[in-house]
Amino acid sequence: MRSDPQQRRNRVISLIADIAELELDEVREGHRLREDLGMDSLGSLELLSTLSEELRIDLEIEDAMGIETVGDACEFLERNYLAQTAQPVAQSAER
Amino acid sequence: MQSADPATHDVLPIVLEQTRRLGRTLDAAAIDRQARLPGDLLPRLAELGLFGLTIPAPEGGLGLSLGEACQVVAELAEVDRSVATTVGLHCGLGTRGLVELGDEALRRRWLARLASGEVVAAFGATEPGAGSDLTAVATTAHVEGDALRLEGEKAYVTNGGFAGMFTVLARTPELGGNRAWSLVAVPRDRPGVHVGAEEHKLGIRGSSTTTVRFDGVRVPRSHVLGEPGAGMVHAHRLLEWGRTLMAAGCLGTARAALRATLAHARMRRQFGRPLADFQVVEGHLARMASTAWAMEALVAHVGRLEGEGRPIAVPSAAAKVFCSEGAFDLCDRAVQLHGALGFVEDTGMALLLRDCRVTRIFEGANDVLCVRIGTALATGAPDTERLVHGPGSVDPEPHREWMTANARLDALVDEARRRRGIALVRDQRWLAWLGQAHLALHAASASLATAGPGADAIARGTHACKTFVRRAHEALDRLTHAPDDTARDAALMEILR
Repeated sequence: MRSDPQQRRNRVISLIADIAELELDEVREGHRLREDLGMDSLGSLELLSTLSEELRIDLEIEDAMGIETVGDACEFLERNYLAQTAQPVAQSAER
Repeated sequence: MQSADPATHDVLPIVLEQTRRLGRTLDAAAIDRQARLPGDLLPRLAELGLFGLTIPAPEGGLGLSLGEACQVVAELAEVDRSVATTVGLHCGLGTRGLVELGDEALRRRWLARLASGEVVAAFGATEPGAGSDLTAVATTAHVEGDALRLEGEKAYVTNGGFAGMFTVLARTPELGGNRAWSLVAVPRDRPGVHVGAEEHKLGIRGSSTTTVRFDGVRVPRSHVLGEPGAGMVHAHRLLEWGRTLMAAGCLGTARAALRATLAHARMRRQFGRPLADFQVVEGHLARMASTAWAMEALVAHVGRLEGEGRPIAVPSAAAKVFCSEGAFDLCDRAVQLHGALGFVEDTGMALLLRDCRVTRIFEGANDVLCVRIGTALATGAPDTERLVHGPGSVDPEPHREWMTANARLDALVDEARRRRGIALVRDQRWLAWLGQAHLALHAASASLATAGPGADAIARGTHACKTFVRRAHEALDRLTHAPDDTARDAALMEILR
C-alpha cells in the first residue's frame, strides 16, 4: 500500500508521464492536462480512473470534471485517498 | 436548414438546380470502373461554384452555411459518392481551417483560389500509426527562425492526388511543448512535398486517396492556423464540419438507394403481383424510408445548431454515426430487395453499398465515436441534448412514448454513474451501449421535430419516430435484462440496423 504522500504523488506523476508518453522529468505540476499534455476530456477522465484504481479509491465523475492540471490531479487524489482511508476508522469509532 | 446570410437563400436553389443538372450528366458506374473522375469534371464543378460553397462571399465563395452545403453535398451523393466526397472534403476539412483560423495574408492569398476551384484542398491528420487516436500523430513541424520545417507522412489523404493545399496536423514541440500539435497550411508546390500513388479501394474509387510525405518542407510560421499548439482542439472543430458533410453524403446515398428500390419493388412481379405488395417487402421499405427520414432530420438539426452558434461536437458525431450506419443498412436492404440484380453491378445497388462502406470508418470510426458519445452522456456534456425542437408533429402520442424511453435512458445513465463512479469512463462497452441508445432516441426526436407540414410528412415523421423509439425501448429492455455482455452487445447492435 502506498502510505507515503510523496510516494503516491510520484506514482500519479509517473502514470501521467506513461499515458502522455513523456519522460518523467518533463511532467510539471503546472502542466494543464488538455492544453499542455494533449489529453482530451475523456483522456483526462481515463487517467483519473486509472489512478483511482491504482490507489484503490472511489471517485465520482462530477468531482473529477474540474481537474485541469497535473497538480490538481495530485491534490484531488490525495484528498480523496485520505478521506476514504480514514473512513473505516471513523466508522468503527462510531460503533 | 436556415441560412446564416439571407442573401444565400437566393443562391441555394440555383446551386441545387445546377447540381441536379450536372448530376444528370455523370456516369457513376464509369467513374467507379475507371477509378478516377473524368478529366473535365473538376473544371465543371468549379464553374458551378461548388468549390466555393462554404467560403465567405467577400473571399470569392458562395458563403453558404454548413446546413446549406449539406443539401448540395447530399444532392451530389445521390448521383455519385466519389464526386460528393471530393467536394465535401474540400468544403469541410479542406478549407474550413483557412476560413476560420487563417490569418489575413493567408486568407487573401488562398481563399479566392480555393473558392474558384483553381486550387483544391485536402486535410492530413491520419498517419500509418495514427488513426482514430490522433494523439499518436508523429509528423513534426520544427521551428527554424521564421519558418516551420515539416517531417513525416500522412496516409489516406482524400483529394491528395490533385490538391494544391493541405491542412496538416503536426506535432510542434517548440510551440507548446512535446505534447503540442498545430494545424499548418502546406501548399503542394513547396519543395519536399511528395504525393504517393492512388490507393485501390473498395468504394468511392473515383475519389483520390494518397499518402503525402513531407521531407523537410519549409513554410512560414504564419502558416500555423489558429493558436499555435492548439491544433488538436482546432482539428476536432474541423472534424465537426467534416462529419456533418459526410452524414449529408450518406443521406444522398440513402435517397438514391430508396428511390431505386421503390421503383424496382413496384415494377418487379413475383407470384403474380408486385414485390411492393408483399408484407415482408413493405416492412423493408418502411424501415428504409424511416431511416432516410431520420437521417435527413439529424443532418438538418446539426446545420441549424451550427447556424445558431451552438456546440455541435456530439450532434455532428451522432449524425455521422447514425447516417453512415443507416446508409449502409439501407443499401444492404436495397441489394436484398433487388435480388440477384442487386448483386451484379448493372443496377448500381452494389456500387452504392461499396461506396458507403468507408463512411463507417473514416473521420472517426463509428465504434470510437459511439464510445465518445457515451462518455459525453456519462460526463453530462452540454451538447448531449436528445430532444430536438422543431415545427413538426403536434401528435402527443409519439412524443409521450419518446419521453418514456428518454427517461429510461436517463435513469440508466444515472444508475451507471452512481454504481460505477469514474470507472465508468474506462468501460468502453457500457459507453458504446449508452451512445447507441442515445443515437436512436436522438434520431427519433429529430424525426418528429421535422414531421410536417402536410399530412404525408407528419405520417412519415411520426412513423420514423415511433420506429426508433420502439427500437430504443426494445434495446433498453434487453440491455437491462440481458444475462451477459454478449446479449447486451446483440441488443444494442440492433438499434441502428
